[in-house]
Amino acid sequence: MREIFQYVPGTSLIHRLNPMTKLLLTLLICVAAFLTGNLFVLLGLLLVNLLIGFCAGIARRTLGVFKGLMKIAVFLFLLQVLLTRKGTPVFWIITDEGLYTSAAVVLRLIVVCMPLTLMLAVTRVSDLANAMVQVAHIPYKYAFTITTALRFIPQFLEEMSDIMEAQTARGVAFDKAKGLKKLGMMLPLCAPLLISSVRNTEHTAVAAEVRGFHLRTARSGFRHYPFHGIDVLTLLAGAALIALSAVI
Amino acid sequence: MIRLENVSFSYANLGPTVRDLSFHIRKGEFVAILGANGAGKTTTMKLIDGLIRPTSGKVTVNGADTRETPVSQRARQVGFLFQNPDRQICRNTVREEILFGLQTVRGEEGEEALKQRVDAVLEDFHFTGDEEPFSLSRGQRQRVALASILAVEPEVLILDEPTTGLDYLECCHIMDRIRRMNEEKMVTILMVCHDMEVVLDYARRALVMAGGELLGDGDVRTLFRDTALMERASILPPQMIALGTRLGIAEADTPETMAEAILSRRGGGSA
Ligand SMILES: Nc1ncnc2c1ncn2[C@@H]1O[C@H](COP(=O)(O)OP(=O)(O)OP(=O)(O)O)[C@@H](O)[C@H]1O
Ligand SMILES: [Mg+2]
Repeated sequence: MREIFQYVPGTSLIHRLNPMTKLLLTLLICVAAFLTGNLFVLLGLLLVNLLIGFCAGIARRTLGVFKGLMKIAVFLFLLQVLLTRKGTPVFWIITDEGLYTSAAVVLRLIVVCMPLTLMLAVTRVSDLANAMVQVAHIPYKYAFTITTALRFIPQFLEEMSDIMEAQTARGVAFDKAKGLKKLGMMLPLCAPLLISSVRNTEHTAVAAEVRGFHLRTARSGFRHYPFHGIDVLTLLAGAALIALSAVI
Repeated sequence: MIRLENVSFSYANLGPTVRDLSFHIRKGEFVAILGANGAGKTTTMKLIDGLIRPTSGKVTVNGADTRETPVSQRARQVGFLFQNPDRQICRNTVREEILFGLQTVRGEEGEEALKQRVDAVLEDFHFTGDEEPFSLSRGQRQRVALASILAVEPEVLILDEPTTGLDYLECCHIMDRIRRMNEEKMVTILMVCHDMEVVLDYARRALVMAGGELLGDGDVRTLFRDTALMERASILPPQMIALGTRLGIAEADTPETMAEAILSRRGGGSA
């Protein structure tokens, strides 16, 4: 769970793509997922996601993310199916339309969430920030804010699991509780978690400031992020995905 | 009491973090685990408390396999002070924080008994009890965390760097308290500490680790005098020990005994 957003080093073709290409492809896949309501197109997009993960040599991570999302998806699917009243009944209170739209909603959720975690797995956050500044001319301050926010997510998860570990060692029965009961036990721990997060944020800001953050300009980066033929191809493929999902 | 048999452990998909550890700690021992940053000390301690389970090998505490009993059930037997006190503190006042740990494992003793325990610990650690943990300094928070672990009076204390961030007086005070628990109540102590003077003063046995392997296990003084071992584990032995080794004086480890040994030698030589 805790390494879900972490970078996995590698030299695959996907790793070597321009960070902006990867970001744009992520956005394109998300947009495509929202443009279409067709189950087969959504399944196709899911396949594209899995394929990208496998090509980048992070099959295990990809499947892990997929499994995690499936758990949420099953829950949402059941809820949605049981609450949809439109369409002709197939069985008990379940309707054909309920089944179809629920499947679409859940698939869309998976297809939208996967590329983001995949992108973070194959792109260094610092590269992402630098490329945003150099290629997209986003002010460094904003690029830094975005990437720092991303970096805090795994840190937050890690801290939560560390806190639970420490409380288990003190006899709080996290290891025996399940489901809602566990959630109830976790709530009181949110206060220290929030306090330490706010403190972390403050420390990060101060640490950045004392190292001369405000002096930094777009020209400070020493790595360059040129676009190659493969980047263009990838973006074309992404555009094709959009066209496909808009037409079908 | 604590027994590790050929224990190896690796995090997720990395290589092994600790390799083939075997040792046995008896009741009432005071053991220090020494080693450089990243040597696997914290990992070893977590293995002992069952917070992580060995990839291969077996860990038993009081004869019970850590894989078979849940960690929370062991809390009364084993107290664990984490390297980062903020992971543990979860209540709004120091008093509540200390009481919280007691309630989870000693709830059956009743309000009054627990309150007495809390008061005793508060006094020992120089707290009034109304302080807010998160507005205390780092060293003070460390003391809060330690106080709430000691209050439970477990049979085994696992302390991950208990004295980091403490001033000299507070360090001595707390270590003396830990030693009292060890001597009077036969509490088994297992501690990681980067201050070799503290290790020399308090621990009797040491486990020396490097790169996830156990390089040495034995009497603290004997290990400190093993220059080759200390070098391999990147440990700088206490100065008196280093001086003693250099001069070939094995029995002295304080400035007083060292001075005596040197003087008697000189006296012997000139007479
Ligand atoms: N949760 C984790 N996931 C992956 N690797 C970890 C994790 N915790 C520790 N490690 C790795 O295991 C190795 C040993 O870590 P450990 O915390 O046991 O060291 P240590 O001896 O306690 O060091 P220190 O003196 O800095 O506390 C380190 O190289 C670290 O990178
Ligand atoms: Mg450690």
